[in-house]
Amino acid sequence: MNVDLSIMGQGAVTPAGVGVEALFDADPKPQHAEPLGEPKKTCPVLRVDLKDLAFARWQKEPRLRRASPMTFFMVEAAEQALCGMSATDRAETGLIVALSAGCLAYSRRFYQGILKDGQRTASPALFPETVFNSPGSHVASVLGLNGAVYALCGDESAWIGALKTASVWLKRGRVRQVVVMGVEEFDPIVLDAYRSARWLRRPDFLTSEGAAALLVREARPEDGAVIATAHEGTPYRTRAEAAFAAGELFCGLDSSLPCHRTARRTWAEPLECEATEGRPEFATPPPYLGAAFTASAAWETIRAARTLNVPRGVLPLWGLNHRFGRLELEHR
Amino acid sequence: MATDSDRRVVVTGVGAVTPLGETFPASWEALIAGRSADAPLELFDTSGCRCHRACSASLPELPDLSRKALSRLSRASRLALPAAREALAHAGLLDGDRRCAQRDLALSISTTAGGMAFGENFCRDVFAGKRAHLFSQVERYLPQQQVLDLQQDLAVNGPSVVMANACASGANAIGHATDMILAGESDCVLAGGFEAICELVFIGFDCLQATTIEKCRPFDLKRSGLMIGEAAAFLVLESRAQAEARGAKILGELTGYGHSTDFFHLTQPQPAGDVLVEVMRAALREAKLDPAQIGYINAHGTATPVNDGPEAAAYRTLLGDALGATRISSTKAAIGHTLGAAGAVEALFALAALRSGDLPPQLNLQEPIPDIAPALVGLNEKHSDLRHVMSVNLGFGGSNAALIFSR
Repeated sequence: MNVDLSIMGQGAVTPAGVGVEALFDADPKPQHAEPLGEPKKTCPVLRVDLKDLAFARWQKEPRLRRASPMTFFMVEAAEQALCGMSATDRAETGLIVALSAGCLAYSRRFYQGILKDGQRTASPALFPETVFNSPGSHVASVLGLNGAVYALCGDESAWIGALKTASVWLKRGRVRQVVVMGVEEFDPIVLDAYRSARWLRRPDFLTSEGAAALLVREARPEDGAVIATAHEGTPYRTRAEAAFAAGELFCGLDSSLPCHRTARRTWAEPLECEATEGRPEFATPPPYLGAAFTASAAWETIRAARTLNVPRGVLPLWGLNHRFGRLELEHR
Repeated sequence: MATDSDRRVVVTGVGAVTPLGETFPASWEALIAGRSADAPLELFDTSGCRCHRACSASLPELPDLSRKALSRLSRASRLALPAAREALAHAGLLDGDRRCAQRDLALSISTTAGGMAFGENFCRDVFAGKRAHLFSQVERYLPQQQVLDLQQDLAVNGPSVVMANACASGANAIGHATDMILAGESDCVLAGGFEAICELVFIGFDCLQATTIEKCRPFDLKRSGLMIGEAAAFLVLESRAQAEARGAKILGELTGYGHSTDFFHLTQPQPAGDVLVEVMRAALREAKLDPAQIGYINAHGTATPVNDGPEAAAYRTLLGDALGATRISSTKAAIGHTLGAAGAVEALFALAALRSGDLPPQLNLQEPIPDIAPALVGLNEKHSDLRHVMSVNLGFGGSNAALIFSR
C-alpha cells in the first residue's frame, strides 16, 4: 500500500536513554531480572530508567498518578515528536498506538493478586489501567490530542498496520496529522514466556522495553524523508511458514534496493540474512537495543529515516508472533 | 484500486455467535422474542466475587477440525471461526472447502482480551513453578493469534488490524474497515469482533462493582450494573462497485462513522454526554442525515450507574423533539456486555432491525430514565418505515463510536 507519510517529528524512549539521539548512542548496559517461575535464574534485560529527569514532569500529572510505566514512555516520546506544536494544531492531531502485550506489569500484578489473595482482594485501581487503550487515552488527554485515538495490537507488524491506519485517516480527512507510536513495557513474566518459546537460548538476545513516536502527515513534494509504502507481508504460524513468509517479503523488489537490517539476535535473524543476501545496506548497524516488538519496529523506522543516504531504501520488520512486513522509505 | 469520492460501502454478509444462538438468525430470533441469556456463570469459580452470573455462549461444533486442532483454539477463536465462516458464506465468498474465495481479504477485528484464558493458564503454571506445556499456552493468548486462526481457517493472507479500543472496539473495527474501503486500500473487508468470557476481565469488572447482582436494567433508574457476556460477530463490507459486479445481495449501506475520545475520566463518560453527541453528529454529517431521520438506535446502555445517565442525556440533546419517534434500546440485557465484540454484534442487530422492521425490545425496565423513557422499545414493537439506523458504543479510555446503516 502507498502510504506517503512525511515524518514531521520523532521521539524515543529507550534503555539507552531518552531522546532520538539515544538510538545512535553506545549499547545500553543490561540489568538482571529473574523469571517468575525460576527465581534463582537471572537473565540480562534492557530497562528504561524511569528515574531519568525527563519523566519527572509527567509524574506530576494528576491524570497519570496510577498510570503504567508504558504510559510514561509514551507521553515522553510523543511530546518529543510534537515539540513546538501549538494547542490548536494538537487539537487536530490523532493518536495511534501499536502495542503487543499492553500494560503487562499491571495485568500480571492484578492477576497474580487474585491467585495469591483471592478474588475478593482484586484491585479496582489496577484493572482500568490494564486495558489496552488506557495508555493512549492518558497520552492524548495530557498532550491535548483531540483527534481520534486507536490502540492496535500485534507484533512488530502492528507498527506497519498503525502507519497504514494513519495514512487511511489522513486520506479520509479525519485528522490533519497523526502521532503514531510503538510501545512495550517489561515485566519478569516476559522472561517466562520467552524461555518457554526458547528465545533465550540465544545468549546475546536481550528483552527490552521503551517507546517511539512519529508525527506524520500526508507527504508533500517539498518533504524530505518519506515513508512511501507499507506491506504487512504473509502471516505465519510455524517456522516453516515463517521461512516461506521471509522468502516472499522481498518478492518483486529490485535486488539492488538497499536495506536496513533489523532482525538482530532474534530467531528471525537467519531468515533475514538469507532473504537479504547480496542486498546492500544503507546504514551501519546501530547499537543493539534489545527486542521490544512494536517499540523496536518504531525505533528502527526512525533510525532508517535518519540514516537513509540513498534515494530509496527498504526496512524489513520481522514480526516475531504473526507476520513479517516491510516499509519503503525514500527521499523526494 | 483508485480512491473515488463516490465510493460507497455496503454490507453483503453477516455472521454471529452470541449467548442467544450459535448463528446470527438464531440470535436475532431469540432477541426479538425478548429472551435473555442471563444465567449462572460456570466457566470458572466465582466464589469470591459479588456477581456470579453472565451471558455465556454455547460453542458451535466445528466438525471439520480435528480434536488436536480444536484443543489449540482459544475459546475466543471457537466463537470467532464459526461467526466468520457464517458471514463469508452469507456473502457468497466461501467455497465448498470453507475457504474464502477472496485470498487477499482484509481483516479489521476487535477484541479487548484476545485469548486471555490461555494467558491465565500460563500465569497459573508459572506462579506454581510448573514448566511443562507453557509455550502452548502463551503462544496463542495474544489477539493476533486469534486473527491468525481466522486467516488460516479461511485461507486468507490480506492485511489485518486488531483494534483494542475497549468496549467501542467493535464499532471502531467496522468504522475502520469502512475507511479502508473509502480510502481505496481494500475492496472487501471482514470486519467485526470477538470476546470470550475470562476470569481476569470478569473479576476486573466485578472489583469495580460495575457488574450487577440483580437483573441487568439498561436505562432504568434502578439499574445496578452490567452483565458480562461473550460473542463473536462479523460483517462482510465491500465497495458497492465490487458487490454489484459479483452480483452479491446487498444487506445495507454503511453511510456514517464517527469516533472520538472523551477525556473526562478513564472509566466514566462526561456527565452531559457532550462527546457522544459530537460523535453521533459526526456520523450523521458523514451520512448527510438529520438526527430525526434515524429510526432506531442500538444504544450502548451498559446498565451501570455511571454510563446510562450521560448516554440518555446525549440522546435527548441529539434528538430533541424527535426522541420519541427515534426508537432506542440496549440489547445488553439480553446478551450481556460482550466488550470487544459489543460494537460488532450490536451493529448486526441494528442492521437486522433496518432490514426487518422488528425492533429489539428494551428488557428488564422498571422505572425508565426520564430523559430517554419515550424512546425505549417495547416488546413486539415494529417500525414500518426504517430507512436509517445507528449503533452506538462507548468504552474505557473514553472511546466513543457511532455507526449509521442505511437502506
